[in-house]
Amino acid sequence: ESLDDSEVAGIYATEEVIRYEYHVLYCSSYQVPVLYFRACFLDGRPLTLDEMWKSVHACYQARLLEGPWDTITQQEHPLLGQPFFVLHPCRTNEFMSSILTELWKQNRHTNYIILWLSTVGPVVGLNLPLSYAKLTPDQNTDADSV
Amino acid sequence: MTDDKDVLRDVWFGRIPTCFTLYQDEITEREADPYYLLLPRISYLTLVTDKVKKHFQKVMKQEEVSEIWFEYEGTPLKWHYPIGLLFDLHASNTALPWSITVHFKNFPEKDLLHCHSKDVIEAHFMACIKEADALKHKSQVINEMQKKDHKQLWMGLQNDKFEQFWAINRKLMEYPPEESGFRYIPFRIYQATTDRPFIQKLFRPIASGGQLHTLGDLLKDVCPSAIASEDGEQKTQVMIHGIEPMLETPIQWLSEHMSYPDNFLHISIIPRPTD
Repeated sequence: ESLDDSEVAGIYATEEVIRYEYHVLYCSSYQVPVLYFRACFLDGRPLTLDEMWKSVHACYQARLLEGPWDTITQQEHPLLGQPFFVLHPCRTNEFMSSILTELWKQNRHTNYIILWLSTVGPVVGLNLPLSYAKLTPDQNTDADSV
Repeated sequence: MTDDKDVLRDVWFGRIPTCFTLYQDEITEREADPYYLLLPRISYLTLVTDKVKKHFQKVMKQEEVSEIWFEYEGTPLKWHYPIGLLFDLHASNTALPWSITVHFKNFPEKDLLHCHSKDVIEAHFMACIKEADALKHKSQVINEMQKKDHKQLWMGLQNDKFEQFWAINRKLMEYPPEESGFRYIPFRIYQATTDRPFIQKLFRPIASGGQLHTLGDLLKDVCPSAIASEDGEQKTQVMIHGIEPMLETPIQWLSEHMSYPDNFLHISIIPRPTD
């Protein structure tokens, strides 16, 4: 189910304006959230997968070049039926569990979605403002809120 | 059982006689004859239509040709759906051959995924298989396989090699001896009448008491309108690979024997013909 979608204007390398649209969905098969997104230039022309790859921040390029097909691909949005780009969910559990285990050891409270989105979002141009972190103040707690 | 293995072959070798016609507004140097082809139900349009593309490109100018796409009665056909699913969903109760219109211009960006190479089809196919195994075995079986086994699944599909494909796929159809079936059944239910492209939910093949869930149980749980009857009449057909399996069929059996090569059961709910 769609939890949220927001539009952000980003500046492209050649100084064109690109409009990004992000949707957060829950994938019941992998039991993790998945980031669906699409982008177009102001004239309505959608970005191709190549243009999307090139717009990924330089520091993530190396990982992407290792196996682009494993990371971002074009997929059908399961509710809208339209083409979106998707950040693959199959590795989510891996990186999320290492972060979560650390937090649990330190008895720290956390919001799963903010943690997840602040990790994967920047790869595709979605940077969460720090104010989101302040919404879940650090607390010592015996139980995780997730 | 010999009978059950025959089902696997019947599913694999199903074909749909199709007539491809070039869209009338495409610019050609001379008249384009229609092209006839038997399409494998279990494959994908962009994987099996190289000859179609070549045939029509022969009568067109190079600059008039960009990415090929297919349409049936005004509806762009999603190449990433198996051919048999597209036919059952859109054309199963119409006269054969299936008439598909071929386009080389005005790619419908809002409706169709791009398919610039066979790599895209392979990536999509393997992603489906991996998702199916995540549901069936928590990804244990697919992750234990080597890259060459993954490649063999794809090559088997691409080259229409039943034995080559099933040598590996049979491992994806096994389950631990202490269980009676998979963890969850990989399935998708499609209805042409709704906006939502498909329904997919977690569904266990075995009830808590140990009984096998049936196709009817699945539909009741996930899509009850599909088997509801108005005035005692069944208004819809539940179709897989062009047939209507009995609703009493165990869903575990259907998953093992009537899944597509991507390991998903793709089920169409279509209006029952009135004649």
